[in-house]
Amino acid sequence: MIKVKRKPFDEILGCIEKYKNILNVGCGGCASVCLGGGQREINILNEEIKIFLNQNGIDKEIAGYTVERACNEKCFLNLEDRVKQGGYDCILTMSCSAGTQLIAEKFPLIPVFPAVNTIAIGIDRDIGLYEERCRACGDCVIGYTGGICPVTRCAKSLFNGPCGGTNKGMCEVNPNIPCAWYEIYNRLKEQNRLEDILKIHPPVEWKNQIQRTIVQYGYEERYMR
Amino acid sequence: MDWNREVLKKYKSKIKLAMSVCARCGMCAQSCFLYMAKDKDPEYMPSYKMINSIGLIYKKKGRLNKEELEKVREIAWEKCVLCTRCYCSLGIDIPWLISLARDYCRLNGVFKTYD
Repeated sequence: MIKVKRKPFDEILGCIEKYKNILNVGCGGCASVCLGGGQREINILNEEIKIFLNQNGIDKEIAGYTVERACNEKCFLNLEDRVKQGGYDCILTMSCSAGTQLIAEKFPLIPVFPAVNTIAIGIDRDIGLYEERCRACGDCVIGYTGGICPVTRCAKSLFNGPCGGTNKGMCEVNPNIPCAWYEIYNRLKEQNRLEDILKIHPPVEWKNQIQRTIVQYGYEERYMR
Repeated sequence: MDWNREVLKKYKSKIKLAMSVCARCGMCAQSCFLYMAKDKDPEYMPSYKMINSIGLIYKKKGRLNKEELEKVREIAWEKCVLCTRCYCSLGIDIPWLISLARDYCRLNGVFKTYD
């Protein structure tokens, strides 16, 4: 899932500095699951902001609202009513960047600021501990790299084997990080399929460099006329 | 925001319509991957989840006691991941109604925290 992490407090304060009435919008999806921007995190951030405002004698109002999926307008439910009724002049969001952009699209006249950084598509190692595993390159190669992504896990995102800097299975960029290609080699060797990385594969198109629209199989006729 | 006065009032007719249209046919069941994964446990049927979450809130006019609120929370989060893939042959928007139940829970300070 997508992993988000809260921005530094000062950066958040800088975003809302000019505004009086702020709505902090959280997301009940990935941002909640990674403990970065769900309802609880909204409550915590709002309380911290309120304490700061009180201590510094600043007059501002801040409220919170959590939508179930910030990336799906159908799940916005009462957000529009809340924004209208509250007369908010600024929206903070704790959803991922995609959700934040949808909220900004929905309310084009209100400044929208992310209170979190969207970090990665990752796995959960423990509560609050996540590791990046995918950069959505749009051309997945892990089928022939033993389920290890060279784009994410190799510091240089190399596709054709390790660079000259691999040293005893570790990366030259950071000796605490395992060399992705060393791991790929070992895993494929264990599975007796080293030939998978000996084959010539077409070059990667780096599809994540342009904005993509995803139409699932079976939905082409509906969306691609 | 007063959920009962504003939200429930706004969507009252939509909830009422869904509750009366639902024929309890069970056609929605197989579109729920959780229902299938949980050995077809009837408590995972989308219609069951809808009736016992937003249906209960509607029936009680938004005045749920602690136990009822916890029951709705369990249905809305533990028994539904809101994948929005459930299908009703009569056109009831079940995921929307369950997300409305979640909205009610959230406003009452009850939600899933994932830790």
